[in-house]
Amino acid sequence: MADTAGGASATATAAPDPDGLDGVRMTWNAWPRSKVEASKCVIPVAASISPIRSSPDLVVLPYSPLRCKPPCSAVLNPFCRVDFPSKIWICPFCFSRNHFPHHYASISETNVPGELYPQCSTVEYTVPQLVAGGDPAAVPLPPPPIFLFVLDTCVIEEELGFVKSAMRRAIGLVPENALVGLITFGTQVHLHELGFSDLSKSYVFRGTKDITKEQILCQLGLSVGGRAAAPGFPKVGMPQANGLHPTSSVNRFLLPATDCEYTLNALLDELQTDQWPVEAGNRSRRCTGVALSVATGLLGACLPGTGARIIALVGGPCTEGPGMIVSKDLSDPVRSHKDLDKDAAPHFHKAVKVYDILAKQLVSQGHVLDIFASALDQVGVAEMKVAVERTGGLVVLAESFGHPVFKESFKRIFESGEQSLGLSFNGNLEINCSKDIKIQGIIGPCTSLEKKGTLCSDTVIGQGNTTAWKMCGLDSSTCLTVFFDIAPSERSDQSGLPNPQLYLQFLTNYQNSEGQMRLRVTTVTRRWIEGSANTAELVDGFDQETAAVILARFVSLKMEMEEEFDATRWLDRSLIRLCSRFGDYRKDDPSSFTINPNFSIFPQFMFNLRRSQFLQVFNNSPDETAYFRMLLNRENITNSVVMIQPSLISYSFNAPPSPALLDVASIAADRILLLDAYFSVVIFHGMTIAQWRNMGYQNQPEHQAFAQLLQAPHDDAQSIIKDRFPVPRVVVCDQHGSQARFLLAKLNPSATHNSASEVAPGSDVIFTDDVSLQVFCEHLQRLAVQS
Amino acid sequence: DARSLPRPLDNYYEEPISIREKYPLNCHPRYLRLTTHAIPSSQSLLARWHLPLGIVVHPLAELSEEVVPIVNFGSAGIVRCRRCRTYINPYVTFTDAGRKWRCNVCALINDVPGEYFCALDANGRRCDLEQRPELTKGSIEFVAPTEYMVRPPMPPLYFFLIDVSVSSVRNGLLEAVAQTIKSCLDDLLGFPRTQIGFLTFDSTLHFYNLKASLLQPQMMVVSDLEDIFLPLPDDLLVNLSDSRHVVDALLDSLPSMFQDNANLESAFGPALKASFQVMSQLGGKLLVFQSTLPSVGVGRLRLRGDDLRVYGTDKEHNLRIPEDPFYKQMAAEFTKNQIAVDIFSLSEKYSDIATLGTLAKYTGGQVYYYPSFKAEVFQEKLRHELTRDLTRETAWEAVMRIRCSKGVRFTTYHGHFMLRSADLLALPAVDSDKAFAMQLSLEETLLTTQVVYFQVALLYTSSSGERRIRAHTTAVPVVPDLAEMYRQADNGAIISLLSRLAIENSLSNKLDDARQIIQLKIVKSLKEYRNLYAVQHRLSGRLIFPESLKLLPLYALCLCKSAALRGGFADASLDERCAAGYSMMILPIRRLLKLLYPTLTRADGLFTKANDAEESLKLLPLTAGSLDSRGLFSFDDGFSIVIWIGQMLPTDTIYKMFGVDLLMFPDISKVPFCDQDNEVTRKIKKLLQASRNEDPSYYQLIHLVRQGEQPRESILLLSRLVEDQVAGASNYSDWILQIHRQSQGP
Ligand SMILES: [Zn+2]
Ligand SMILES: [Zn+2]
Repeated sequence: MADTAGGASATATAAPDPDGLDGVRMTWNAWPRSKVEASKCVIPVAASISPIRSSPDLVVLPYSPLRCKPPCSAVLNPFCRVDFPSKIWICPFCFSRNHFPHHYASISETNVPGELYPQCSTVEYTVPQLVAGGDPAAVPLPPPPIFLFVLDTCVIEEELGFVKSAMRRAIGLVPENALVGLITFGTQVHLHELGFSDLSKSYVFRGTKDITKEQILCQLGLSVGGRAAAPGFPKVGMPQANGLHPTSSVNRFLLPATDCEYTLNALLDELQTDQWPVEAGNRSRRCTGVALSVATGLLGACLPGTGARIIALVGGPCTEGPGMIVSKDLSDPVRSHKDLDKDAAPHFHKAVKVYDILAKQLVSQGHVLDIFASALDQVGVAEMKVAVERTGGLVVLAESFGHPVFKESFKRIFESGEQSLGLSFNGNLEINCSKDIKIQGIIGPCTSLEKKGTLCSDTVIGQGNTTAWKMCGLDSSTCLTVFFDIAPSERSDQSGLPNPQLYLQFLTNYQNSEGQMRLRVTTVTRRWIEGSANTAELVDGFDQETAAVILARFVSLKMEMEEEFDATRWLDRSLIRLCSRFGDYRKDDPSSFTINPNFSIFPQFMFNLRRSQFLQVFNNSPDETAYFRMLLNRENITNSVVMIQPSLISYSFNAPPSPALLDVASIAADRILLLDAYFSVVIFHGMTIAQWRNMGYQNQPEHQAFAQLLQAPHDDAQSIIKDRFPVPRVVVCDQHGSQARFLLAKLNPSATHNSASEVAPGSDVIFTDDVSLQVFCEHLQRLAVQS
Repeated sequence: DARSLPRPLDNYYEEPISIREKYPLNCHPRYLRLTTHAIPSSQSLLARWHLPLGIVVHPLAELSEEVVPIVNFGSAGIVRCRRCRTYINPYVTFTDAGRKWRCNVCALINDVPGEYFCALDANGRRCDLEQRPELTKGSIEFVAPTEYMVRPPMPPLYFFLIDVSVSSVRNGLLEAVAQTIKSCLDDLLGFPRTQIGFLTFDSTLHFYNLKASLLQPQMMVVSDLEDIFLPLPDDLLVNLSDSRHVVDALLDSLPSMFQDNANLESAFGPALKASFQVMSQLGGKLLVFQSTLPSVGVGRLRLRGDDLRVYGTDKEHNLRIPEDPFYKQMAAEFTKNQIAVDIFSLSEKYSDIATLGTLAKYTGGQVYYYPSFKAEVFQEKLRHELTRDLTRETAWEAVMRIRCSKGVRFTTYHGHFMLRSADLLALPAVDSDKAFAMQLSLEETLLTTQVVYFQVALLYTSSSGERRIRAHTTAVPVVPDLAEMYRQADNGAIISLLSRLAIENSLSNKLDDARQIIQLKIVKSLKEYRNLYAVQHRLSGRLIFPESLKLLPLYALCLCKSAALRGGFADASLDERCAAGYSMMILPIRRLLKLLYPTLTRADGLFTKANDAEESLKLLPLTAGSLDSRGLFSFDDGFSIVIWIGQMLPTDTIYKMFGVDLLMFPDISKVPFCDQDNEVTRKIKKLLQASRNEDPSYYQLIHLVRQGEQPRESILLLSRLVEDQVAGASNYSDWILQIHRQSQGP
């Protein structure tokens, strides 16, 4: 079996767009009909969906969708049966018969509306804006994008310099009409009034004190009623920024980029690191929690319901006020996984609670929190995760604001055109499914809207108890995992006409990056598999990549939610059960074991998952773990697979670049290896290559081929980086160099210091006690066939 | 006959200079005056004196005729009595061939320190006497060595707390203040060490980062009034020379920054707390510019004093004392941290001066009150007085103590300061415009010495950053009889002490009671003198007073008619009354006398006759009878000048003066005075200038009033003609009769 696993990652990446237009991938593409059968399948029935995946084939319809009668409300789709003569369509979800409205009067078999085209299983509707006052001429301009920057000033001079130049670049990149605001924080929070023309002006908030939204508004003079509403504050003669909120004084704090570019740049020029003294042996006093509260409060006052993002640039841990993750005393280290395990992280739960409340407020306002953490130590991403993930925010972890991981990633948020991330706002996802299917919940960047209904399962996974979810921020790569329950009711069993097809419909309302409101409708259908006899059909429908990723997401969630959860053991048992169920073997004869190719790489995925950062959390900080998991949860299947099982390409004179086994055996002195582990991209030079390079052969005209060989992996690395957010860390290293560990840690230890009796020259060994893939598979086969 | 009554029309500020003929080593009386330059030898004698026995001290008085010499003992240290800590002075005597000196205050024989030793001449005087000003001058300044410091001498520090609420912007306060401060920046004391800072407020507090490396100040708003904090650890107070461009930029921007401010509120209490936090490390002067009654946060005040029914009841005095203990507590904190507070109240409405003034009262500060402030009217006055405040000689982080010989002791102190211990006056800042008064009592034993010595010592930091002690020493004879006490009585010092006592009385009693006490003192004193006189000369039936006190009844009458004490509810607004009280508590004697009995002169002669203005104008009695409808009169109390224009004054004269026909001018208070440039106005300007130069501490605002123009004529002038019957109080002759009659009784 190990043999067949060989080229796995290569074939996966070579597959042309496995997501398709629909952006829906499922663990099982044929569904067991009963709960019992479903549980025997071991791998949960789940779908990974990319609600607004961009595609050149997407059809956009300039009108409102037709909906089935309530409570179903499913949208007309290609799977509906249409009775053209009587102008009736039958909903595949509830089987209701719906009359087409008058403006569909002209439809016929030869004149079908776009949403009924078979290839339009995914289609997008433009949602007409409701015009206030009913004046159809007053078509409102789409709302501008809004960026509220929250800048940490408790950093060293050099880091502040990096942040400043990143900010200057960003200000130059944002669209001219984008509204921009700035908060700086350290010991205290400074909210800058960019619309104040006389001199630089900021509102200052104490960093130690929890502050309610009402207090913030009152102090800013933004509250309706109360003393601060007394026409109390300098009015600045700036033009109204937009037509959204004519009465609020939003334009004091959030200004069109063109209007405040000068002010912002001047402000950045004079911005200093936090001036409050830090005692020896202490950390800076940093009030990240209050700063984010103020940001949230400001957006809540100015622009509730309009898409906006808070972009927090954080250079260290919160040590002051609500949300603090560690004390100021440097001898008190930031919590580790061990501390969390032993419940020895005194600030952790309190801080999570603070950010959870913040998340709820942001979600209710429809606003996004992005965290750019750049520090050598942890900054509290683990605690802030809830606010980022629930709002669909972006997160980037780097070790410095000067590091390319930060610089390149940060720049990408503001890029437009082809490089654009397609950042969208105010998403609202609804799911319809066929009878007998219930929704357990979603793992990924969204929040349950607690819209309960008959489609909700009693078993909850992630954001559940609902058929609607809020996605304050989403983009073309945003991915969610939906877990389903098969729950046939008594009646459906008795009905004589079992429908062989099941349907799922995903409805995503959102404000796209141009500010327009859209409704994306994706309708998919799959086959039901009746009874336990049709194993072959189940096997055919198994998607092992999706299964591996979804299992990784599922097990990560369980690790966070369940105390004392033994993830490795749980994975092993699942894998053994899966192989027992779907393998072909004679009982108690391991050598007889074979399994369908649809399952063949799955054990290797599990082997790598067991060794990955997602399970071996103790090798990382809680911040890193939170970061890895947030990305695992929101990336598409292809990218997520790379996180679990990196891809490896080998470059040599003898052959064109080709996929290599993720094995220590792939190392050779005359090879260059390119490892893509998603978070990092490693270029690894074999010993000989490194020697030649050090001698400068590549600069000599007669060794042009060598120069090309050296260059090739860099070019390939660039093309990987180009499409990825966050930008991965690039490590260039040589065999036996200290950075080589970035590669070695990911390789199958087929040769270790224990086993390496006969090491070929130029090859390598790994210093580990981990078992190799081969040993793992042998064990698996033995246990799977056990009676 | 009323015309023959005594009046201060010749030399209205006479000083007891003659004492120095007898005691040439005494300090100048401008620094220190006793109510009588004769100490009674016994308590029984003092009991017959009835008038207050005390001292008025003006430690930093500006004397053009004398310079206080500065001496530096260097490593020898300042020579002081071992027991009573008196500083060496001209009255000590040297013995034992110059190796010992005898303290004049406590008689202890002290060793002369080696470095200070000097041989004595045949008369027992030190040979170096001529080189030793501390042994020949009654006023001296010692440079203090480090043991007189608890910290390095502070730099002069000015922190400006400015109200920017609507009323402050509308009435022009903000602009006037910003411009004035800017115009003073070159003259602030202590260059190049001067520190400066600003805080503005409405319902929020606005701090300013003035760091020298900035191009522009940075404004930081703190709206959390519950729990005041500073938005920056440094740079809210900066070195003026380093940050001059930033300070200039701020002062230029302030008016426009708030020109559209619509905030009606005042978070004055929180702003005070914030100022305290900024200043507490260094101390200095806090200058408050206030226009709106504190309305939010701690220390909010309410409108009071508009209830006429309170007057005449036991609760009346409560209106004149602070309502909220916050202000007194803040004042105590300020003093403890060497912060002096000056209040500039520029409001169109009630400001509760009684409460705000507390801040000045306990910190050595001052209250400036500009009722119905309008920049176009008051700007010049504000500019002058603020400039004066910022540039007059100021002693920083000071303490003052008066020592005196055994048998005499100080019982009460009156003025603006905080009493730190029984006899130590804490003065975060004190300047040349502040005087203090103290009352004396005698110990039980009879005074056996011939002379009692007083020494005022002010330990302070000069604006140049030197720690110094200014000592004023005076000798006063002990007398066994009352007549000598009367002969040596000092009318000015008595009035000064009496007025302070009366104002303090008014804080715990009805106004009427305070006035009664004054009258009673005069009557008793007169009766005592009559008895003395009658016994000696067998005369009776005539009003008699010693020559030295002939003006005392008149000034007592003036005191009762002063803004602080006169009438009742309708006769002065509460704020005006309290502001007058705060002023009178610090005024030096000369200013006080001029305020109580202002000068009235006829000025039209200046331009009808061709003579030059050099000839000083004749002072007239303060009675309506002095006015003549054909003339132009000037009434000057040192704080303002009222120009009264008689109805029959020829119109061409008026036209020359004002360039307008006053009959046609709708509002005379808006007539631009002295805008013209002609011979007449030049003469008048010269006259005004002379009057203002006489005392630079205040600026006389000029009010024009036409005869018969009511109610301005009454308010501005007629009610101030103290010899007439005004506000229900007697005229001068009736008052004399009244006192006379009362002194006849048993
Ligand atoms: Zn339906
Ligand atoms: Zn002594």
